[in-house]
Amino acid sequence: MAMDGMSTSPAGLSFHNGSDFYPRKLGPKPDVVPSGVTERKVGAVDKPDMVAVDVINFQDSDTPLHRKKQETDTYVLWSGPPWTLTEQGTIHPFRKTHKSFLGKFVQEFNLVASDRRSWKILLFGVMNVICTACLLMWCNSTNSMALTAYTYLTIFDLFSLITCLMSSWVTMKKPSQLFSFGFERFEVLAVFASTVLVQLGALFILKESVERFVEQPEVHTGRLLVGTFVALFFNLLTLLSVKNKPFVYVSEAASTSWLQEHVADLSRSLCGIVPALSSFLLPRMNPFVLINLAGAFALGITYMLIEINNYNAVDTASAVAIALMTFGTMYPMSVYSGKVLLQTTPSHVIGQLDKLLREVSTLDGVLEVRNEHFWTVGFGSLAGSVHVRIRRDANEQMVLAHVTNRLHTLVSTLTVQIFKDDWTRPSLVSGVLPAATLSASDYGGASGFLPPASSKQAEELDPLTSTPTKPSSPPPEFAFNTPGKNIQPVVLPSTHQHRPYNLGLAYGASPYTSMLNQGFTQPGGGLGVGAGLGMGARLPSVQGYRTSFSAAPHRYGSNLLPSQTSQYRP
Amino acid sequence: MDDKYSSNVISGGKLGRVEVPNARLTRYIVLLLLTKMLKALGIFESYDLLKVVHIVQFVFILKLGCAVILLFFQKPFSTGKMVAKRQWIKILKHAVISSIISLLGFFGLTLCGPLRTLLLFEHSDVVVISLLSVLFTSSGGGPSKTRGAAFFIIAVICLLLFDNDDLMAKMAEHPEGHHDSALTHALYTGIAFLGVADHKSKVESWSGLIMPFVMIIFSVMILDFYVESICTAKLEAPRSARYGSIFLFLSGLLLANFWTHPLTDQLRAMSKPGQQASTEHVLSGGVLVSACFFILSDSILSSPSKKGQKGTLVGYSPEGIPLYNLMGDALQHSSQSLPRFIKDSLKQILEEYDSRQIFYFLCLNLAFTFVELFYGVWTNSLGLISDGFHMLFDCSALVLGLFAALMTRWKATRIYSYGYGRVEILSGFINGLFLMVIAFFVFVESISRLIDPPNINTVMLAPVSVGGLIVNLVGICAFSHAHSHGASKGSCSGHEHGHSHGGHGHSHGHGHSHSPGGRGMNANMRGVFLHVLADTLGSVGVIISTVLISQFGWLIADPICSLFIATLIFLSVIPLLKDACEVLLLRIPPEHEKDLNFALEKVQKIEGVLSYRDPHFWRHSANVVAGTVHLQIMSDVVEQRVIQQVTAVLKDAGVNNLTVQVEKEAYFQHMSGLSTGFHEVLAMTQQMESMKYYKDGTCIM
Repeated sequence: MAMDGMSTSPAGLSFHNGSDFYPRKLGPKPDVVPSGVTERKVGAVDKPDMVAVDVINFQDSDTPLHRKKQETDTYVLWSGPPWTLTEQGTIHPFRKTHKSFLGKFVQEFNLVASDRRSWKILLFGVMNVICTACLLMWCNSTNSMALTAYTYLTIFDLFSLITCLMSSWVTMKKPSQLFSFGFERFEVLAVFASTVLVQLGALFILKESVERFVEQPEVHTGRLLVGTFVALFFNLLTLLSVKNKPFVYVSEAASTSWLQEHVADLSRSLCGIVPALSSFLLPRMNPFVLINLAGAFALGITYMLIEINNYNAVDTASAVAIALMTFGTMYPMSVYSGKVLLQTTPSHVIGQLDKLLREVSTLDGVLEVRNEHFWTVGFGSLAGSVHVRIRRDANEQMVLAHVTNRLHTLVSTLTVQIFKDDWTRPSLVSGVLPAATLSASDYGGASGFLPPASSKQAEELDPLTSTPTKPSSPPPEFAFNTPGKNIQPVVLPSTHQHRPYNLGLAYGASPYTSMLNQGFTQPGGGLGVGAGLGMGARLPSVQGYRTSFSAAPHRYGSNLLPSQTSQYRP
Repeated sequence: MDDKYSSNVISGGKLGRVEVPNARLTRYIVLLLLTKMLKALGIFESYDLLKVVHIVQFVFILKLGCAVILLFFQKPFSTGKMVAKRQWIKILKHAVISSIISLLGFFGLTLCGPLRTLLLFEHSDVVVISLLSVLFTSSGGGPSKTRGAAFFIIAVICLLLFDNDDLMAKMAEHPEGHHDSALTHALYTGIAFLGVADHKSKVESWSGLIMPFVMIIFSVMILDFYVESICTAKLEAPRSARYGSIFLFLSGLLLANFWTHPLTDQLRAMSKPGQQASTEHVLSGGVLVSACFFILSDSILSSPSKKGQKGTLVGYSPEGIPLYNLMGDALQHSSQSLPRFIKDSLKQILEEYDSRQIFYFLCLNLAFTFVELFYGVWTNSLGLISDGFHMLFDCSALVLGLFAALMTRWKATRIYSYGYGRVEILSGFINGLFLMVIAFFVFVESISRLIDPPNINTVMLAPVSVGGLIVNLVGICAFSHAHSHGASKGSCSGHEHGHSHGGHGHSHGHGHSHSPGGRGMNANMRGVFLHVLADTLGSVGVIISTVLISQFGWLIADPICSLFIATLIFLSVIPLLKDACEVLLLRIPPEHEKDLNFALEKVQKIEGVLSYRDPHFWRHSANVVAGTVHLQIMSDVVEQRVIQQVTAVLKDAGVNNLTVQVEKEAYFQHMSGLSTGFHEVLAMTQQMESMKYYKDGTCIM
């Protein structure tokens, strides 16, 4: 029973009273024994009941998991963009009927529609559809290619509204089992699809215009100007009143389009003449507003020339111009979102990543970093995996923790695989045993309940030094048997609780001294041997942890010195 | 950030050039103006003269007179350095080329009149150089130069298309035929003086031509040479070039307006009778517009580039001054030559089956297209021409597919860390979208025709569509062969795919272990195949509707056919789009889903494994299925053994790029110490909780 308490207490202590833990780890001053510690111990004494419960937990935790999986299989499915929706039902009915799929869509739609902000988007969407229908009719009646090209921009606005709806849907969804990275990618895909669709429309316009160059039909100017202004008004209204998160992000993150560059260049020279305009003209222009204005301008010129000179070829020329501008505007964005979809490392974080990886490779015990894959999941959040090859005698968990800690600042979804050469032929030959194997063989037979606790202790030796360099595992019997099994485990859990790892990057001696001060004051029992262990482990790190092998005997020798331990006793 | 630094001292260009205030330079500018006006006058004069004198004689006399005067003033032999032998060869080359250029120039003058010649021919070398650098090099010098080049091209196009001077069509632009620099003439005249004998030929009344010749030689050659060199020294080359060309064009416009006017007749140096066919080469709207564009483009192109050298920021000096590395640009551009590039990529294309198929089919398609276009132009049939453009439009999908198939084999780079395999899927997706767009347009078109069926001329239609059908059938054969070739189990359309999906449950674990790239054809090839299929359907539809219309006169058959085809295209694209979407969205690959669930269960049963979290599995490309998983294991288990076992289990399930993070309890304790974020610790605490329970359970057991 006591052992049971011991085995659980470290976790409980260090994590459960996180509130205690936090303020304290920052302050180096030795403070009072937290009340939580004793409380926790009481809890630990009560443990036997809990154990029985836990066993049950363990058994049926399998089944719920399983059941959940099947549930998600049948349940969570596509609920993507509307255009993907229709396709879903028609061709690929996964194990469910068409109707349930529609129902699913309606359910998701209701989920989105329940938010008040999306009402506005829906309203704009309806307006946009009406406006587009009107414009398409006018395009037909005027027979103008340029107006058609401009109408495609309105259709693009519709796409962007859909993307906007989807991004609000994405924020409501949690990662499912099928889409384990979450649904942020839907946003990216929607942005990519809409930009590509508009570009394909522009390509179509180009093709039609080439055909028109061969034979130019007459263009009626009747509704041309009206259509232009209606489209411009609606586009600008939609752009400026709907807060379109994904597109704003992409248009800022992507490289500038040539249209933007030219306008920036022109406005810079204009600001040279009229400096007052600089606040208005100099910041980066919104590409969508820009292309809408430029398209309207081209249409205005078309109207003028056709009215004055009856010069119909201008219509085709301005259609080509609008199509080219559409290409110019959308291309950088589709490249950006396409690169996200291609799982590439965003070039702007490469510098930072390189720095972090260099830091990682200089960690002690790390031999090389390879197979590094970093990519963005949605817009912004980085995911990645990396393989780290370490020395055979290095402590895997320690290195893992340090590597994770370094990279975690930048990469939110991180997986690190620690890799050792030749791990099958280890230990006995070299004399340096991995802690885990030895402790298992040593203690497994000795006492039924000991192994988890003691092997954990073996691991904890390293945390105390916090140096991945350390000749990772001292022969465990040396560490544990000598102090005496019964006393030590009670102490160490609480000492390690106050390890100031938060200062982790600084490997200097100071954190460890402060750690010692802290650590030794508070354990309930305050038992000397445990403190001694801590002390012993600390020494090499003060000396410089790369020399650890030579330091080892000295360290463990010091373990046993009662004078030293008593010195730190509160 | 870029702006912030570009406004800095070095890149801002503030340091280098200091503009002299205009006031001090006014006299030079006036001088330049006068010279340019005289030059324009001289060119107009020479146009008149060229109607009388043969062009070769004219050029000869011009050069000779120039040479004599310049020799007299410059004294190239008595002063300065001796000219070496090698330089003589260069001089000779230069002389020949420059005389050819001036011959061409004056020939153009006879063809298209003085104003147009001025506009096209008399650009200063600064302008020409920057134009060429924009057109043919990547580092043109910023957007403004690009704009200038665009204006230049627009001006030329204006002159070619919109000017109704019929002779203009014959006059092509000579970008290399820039302003005859006076140096050329000096050298040329030197040669002329040394080598060439004086051939006075048999033109009568030379005496009457002496005055105009002297005037032309003086104004076009000599004065221009001296004034321009002075102005270049005083005003700096770009500025003098800008002012010079503006003045020249403006005075050209002015003269063109008044040249044929009776008032100016008295001003003319030579008033020959019988050359008053004054309607030729008059001012037109097109010329005016293009002159405006030329002036604009000249002033843009001749302005010195503002940016200067673009440096990359390397850091800060101890004083806090930013340090730039200015030599990056020069080193990076080591591009291979074009023929070599083409050869290499052709070799790459032909290496692999997929890209070879696409390439051959693309060639076939292009050949057909060009035959169609050529025949269309030959017979002046608009239908054929537009169909040819349509085919070209379709070819773009093939080009995309080819490019993707090529890129797929590129080596992994730092940015594309998994390799370029995913490009294929993206290209398949884009091709799918492309087909959707086509289906949409066909649909809209057919609906509008359904309401108002137009009369269709079926004469040319049948043979063309039969030809298209044959080409596309060849394509289908090729690609479906590719399909069966590469596929272990047939899955091309959605239904078959669904079938293989269902059949997959029976033989999982075995069927996938040796063919991880499950689906037969990759997304790219599927996209291309569907494209060809859609084209074939289109041809079939056209043939059927042609037959129906010509036999029964059912005009409605055509829109119905296209409606049907649009629907078919739409339906056939959907599975492709869906699959590509699933891959792009990082969904668990559906064909591995069961295996993976099974494998994860197995993983959990591995000795020492307590639980797993964050299992992510996704298909990266056709033959890479990647996965990451975090395992919690008991403290007394060797991590590497667990990794090995887990990797083996998941490899069986089809995952071939796996990263396993093995965590023991110690890891969480380390992390709790290391991490600073409260939430992370909370999350980890929960993780630990579960772990603890498991451990307790195992403890008891």
